[in-house]
Amino acid sequence: MESRWYFFVGDIFANLVVGVVAGVACWLLVGPAWNMWLAMIIAMALGMLVAGLLFIPFSILFGAMEVMVPTMLSGMLAGMVVGMWCAMSAVSLSGAVLVGGASGLVGLAIVWGFHLILRGRVELARGDR
Amino acid sequence: MDIQTQRKWNRAAKNFDLMASKGAEWRWAPQKRALFSRMEGGILFLALGTGLDIAAFPPGKTITAIDISPRMLALAQARVEAYPGTITTHMMDVHDMPFAEASFDQVFTSCTFCSVPDPVAGLRALRRVLKPGGELFMFEHTGSHWFPFNVMMHLMTFMSKKIGPAMNRDTVANVRAAGFEIVEVENIFLDVVKTIRAVRPC
Repeated sequence: MESRWYFFVGDIFANLVVGVVAGVACWLLVGPAWNMWLAMIIAMALGMLVAGLLFIPFSILFGAMEVMVPTMLSGMLAGMVVGMWCAMSAVSLSGAVLVGGASGLVGLAIVWGFHLILRGRVELARGDR
Repeated sequence: MDIQTQRKWNRAAKNFDLMASKGAEWRWAPQKRALFSRMEGGILFLALGTGLDIAAFPPGKTITAIDISPRMLALAQARVEAYPGTITTHMMDVHDMPFAEASFDQVFTSCTFCSVPDPVAGLRALRRVLKPGGELFMFEHTGSHWFPFNVMMHLMTFMSKKIGPAMNRDTVANVRAAGFEIVEVENIFLDVVKTIRAVRPC
């Protein structure tokens, strides 16, 4: 989790936007006639594609891997959730926006959780241990 | 000289600063400054690029810097001249460095071994030019050992490798495979961005 405010807010903003755009893209594509599992796979791929495109401007502002990894996860997650939901029932645009945005924040929270576990020194040798 | 790799980085040079000079450099500046603060003695810096890392170098050092791309080095020139120390640049492929064996006390890399086509051979070349007991300091992004990040990094590599770096390298294992002894690995972001300190065994 980033302690500098610029990056902290930037990370939230980037993942929120990726989640919303991925959610809306899947809402536009997937309808109730779709097979749910097919919808899930295609929507996940679409979410990743959205994240890959939005990564370019966000990376200029907020960083490289610290933006790429969570936004990819957020795009996948938003695509999966909204895509499956749209395949199961009629979904409103505001519903897709809300669920997409929430998925983006969940994706970021997952990455921050892993980061808290993995960050720091992991290997020592030569008497430094 | 690996012409294909040279062409790839010559093409990337024009937009390199736009993509890398703001967000990524701001974000990594504290960790890079901490890593480069260990510069002492004869220093080789691998893959200078457009010289973005120079801002994090401690002043007053004498550094030999190489890069495979002449366009990158041309863009780096203003930063090289502004550095309050001495940086000598050479257009050079890490696999074909003409330096004598055991020429340097330290080697530094920064986001380099995601792009060297044969990373273990490149690292072996660095080991050759390091003095016995000499240190290798790396700031690198690598693949992840954790799901779902490992899968994502493999997927991203399909796209990223064509225009620039691979996202799924196991650079720590490559350093070991090249005959270095790992001293310290510190994760900066997940297990994806990290600093590595290794030595050439005596």
